Amino acid sequence: MPAISSDKHSLLIRSRQPWHSMPGELFGRQDVFDTDVDVFFYRHWILVGVSADVPEPGDVSTIDIGKASILIVRDDDEQIRAFRNTCRHRGARLKEPGKSTVGMLVCPYHQWTYDLGGALRHTTHMGKDFDAGCRALRPVHLKEVGGLVFVCLADEAPADVALLEQTMAARLAPYGLARAKIAHEAEIIENGNWKLVMENNRECYHCAGTHPELTTSFLAEDFGFCPDGLSEEAQQSVQAYHAKVAASVADWESQGLICAPVEALGPDVATLFRTQRLVMAGHGESQTMDTKVASQKPLGDFPRRDLGDTHLWTHSSWSHVMSDHAVVSYLIPLGPDRTLVRTKWLVHAEAVEGVDYQVDQLTSVWKATNAQDASLVAISQQGTQDPGYVPGPLSRYTETYIEGFAKWYEARLAAHGV
Amino acid sequence: MEPLADTGRLAQAATWEQLGVDWPAGQEQTLVCCRVVAETHDVRSFHFRREDGAPLRFEPGQYITLALEIAGQRLARCYTVSSPPTRPFTFSITVKRVPGGPVSNWLHDHLQPGGRLQATGPAGSFTPTAHPAHKLLYLSAGSGITPLMSMLRASLDLGESMDLVFVHSARTPADIVFREELAALARLSEGLRVIAVCEALGDERSWPAPLGRLSLALLRQQVPDFLERAVFACGPEGYMRAAQALLAEAGHAPERYHQESFNIGTGPGGPDAPDAPDAPAEPASQPAGTGFTVRLAKSQKSFTVAPTQSLLAAVRQSGTAIASSCQQGVCGSCKTMLLDGAVRMAHQGGIRQREIDKGWRLLCCSYPQTDVVLDL
Repeated sequence: MPAISSDKHSLLIRSRQPWHSMPGELFGRQDVFDTDVDVFFYRHWILVGVSADVPEPGDVSTIDIGKASILIVRDDDEQIRAFRNTCRHRGARLKEPGKSTVGMLVCPYHQWTYDLGGALRHTTHMGKDFDAGCRALRPVHLKEVGGLVFVCLADEAPADVALLEQTMAARLAPYGLARAKIAHEAEIIENGNWKLVMENNRECYHCAGTHPELTTSFLAEDFGFCPDGLSEEAQQSVQAYHAKVAASVADWESQGLICAPVEALGPDVATLFRTQRLVMAGHGESQTMDTKVASQKPLGDFPRRDLGDTHLWTHSSWSHVMSDHAVVSYLIPLGPDRTLVRTKWLVHAEAVEGVDYQVDQLTSVWKATNAQDASLVAISQQGTQDPGYVPGPLSRYTETYIEGFAKWYEARLAAHGV
Repeated sequence: MEPLADTGRLAQAATWEQLGVDWPAGQEQTLVCCRVVAETHDVRSFHFRREDGAPLRFEPGQYITLALEIAGQRLARCYTVSSPPTRPFTFSITVKRVPGGPVSNWLHDHLQPGGRLQATGPAGSFTPTAHPAHKLLYLSAGSGITPLMSMLRASLDLGESMDLVFVHSARTPADIVFREELAALARLSEGLRVIAVCEALGDERSWPAPLGRLSLALLRQQVPDFLERAVFACGPEGYMRAAQALLAEAGHAPERYHQESFNIGTGPGGPDAPDAPDAPAEPASQPAGTGFTVRLAKSQKSFTVAPTQSLLAAVRQSGTAIASSCQQGVCGSCKTMLLDGAVRMAHQGGIRQREIDKGWRLLCCSYPQTDVVLDL
């Protein structure tokens, strides 16, 4: 029997039976991981933060992704720019990961000094004829979309980001996220492959059994359910769900609030995303334990608190924007079985902690949910690496987005020659 | 921009790069003294060659840094090269004996032909390169004449046609450094005019010009077209403040004003030399300000700093290690918390207003206005 571990990455993904989970090697092998980072994190648009990471000119946010590192800076003209975090002299890292404030970007090694437009402004000992003009920091494609920051490390970035930009700019504009502040940030390292983290995020099959806090506000029905064998109580719940969604959408749309889902998830797109204004349960105001707003100061100039949850998926992030706050989560792959998940909670810039909001109340739902998901991802990683693992069937009701993700993943590998 | 005419080569870095061998500013070399010339009663020129015989590459106006060990203490001083780069095999520095200054006195008392000392390579940005101009006005006072002398000698050696007025201030006629050479050069060169401004007669019987200081009236009378001239100025801080102010008052374009400042005792051409003061440099022109006390909170050091000295230079002189690079307020390497007191700071983007608001300062471009306490 040939050693399956010698199979090529492309063979592994093509060997997947439709509507079945992926072969375990796609979650465990280092070479697969390296290719994944190259294709999905260096050659696609990825969400790497929010405008509020760099609220003022001179602020720098440094993000490491694999061997690459990116400086995200706000220049004096208030524009956010991104550069490769490597000095144009002998390549030293300019900044450690994390946030800082600078006048200029100064290399710690020989003090080559760059302004926040990337231009090399000062060197010593390079002689009068040294041409600093061709030693600017290397720029990285960056798009600020309604307060979310996307970058692309490829020389030529996928052009279909335009649809995401156009779609989300209109939906996010009323929330003024670009001017919001970060009320809290959290990082967890999940012990699983990044694709398992994403698959877990793309289904709510597991929600009922795992996420009591999230499902207080989140309607699992949004992401599919099987009508067969539902209890009478569950059937009533489904009817109530349909009625509530229809009423809310009619109400919002009458006020000009965009609700309809937009899905760019197919194998033909480079820039994967999905958005929709989702109805929430209970009071329907916010993803909190009591489904009411966590911050008394709304993000935008809203007359009402129940604006639903405008969610956004990309291939490495998930965000929820509500009337009072936004939760933005994105992942950074660290290794075949390790994934960093970074979450930021945004509130109005003038909301005061302890007065307008309590951090616990603001963050408790997604802190609990992320921790629960981390456990699920860890057991998925362990199980799929077990020699006894055999890929199993997906639910055609609740796991259609996992099937779609697998197809997109295969198509994007193929598009990049894998 | 002035027409390049044939002053082009003086202002081109390439002119100087074809002469001599590269001597990186940080690298130490042994110099051999080959001549000592008394210029005035308290100013001497020391001529050197490199021990390895290599010719010196530099730009007129740059300085070298002497590293001396005097009474067991290692001292460094910056001195402008007063000779021109067109004569690269020997080169000179011109040093005024400063009362109480350990280095200048040691040089005057001990350095003889054959003497050896250590130095690091040419540095400094007060040079004509990148500032092409056909009509020039050199302003200098005291031993601030040295970089301008190097530029003048270099221009003449290049055979460039010139339109230069050289206005030099001295206490008395006997204090005019290079007095005879300047007079001879003015006789030989059609485009060169030398005007000496003396405060007092001294031992001189007579002086063919009014006594006094550099003034707008004097400039208007002696150099009526001074507004059209690019100005290079070097002298003590007080002198240069006055020169800059009177030019600004007259409407001279600031982008055509270039100056070298030298801190007290570090010698002309040596901004921010990392060592102890050689004592007040130019008593005649130095403003009467006394100085402020700087206290370093962590190292518990305390010392006096003149309002004209950068805090970076002063901190270094105290023997305290501090990082720096550009020394012009760009890179931010010397950012330090000011715990108490007030400074005047003229940075160039190396620090943010909100950092300033929190108490951070760039010491390289900060000058004390009161007693200060630094978090060092």
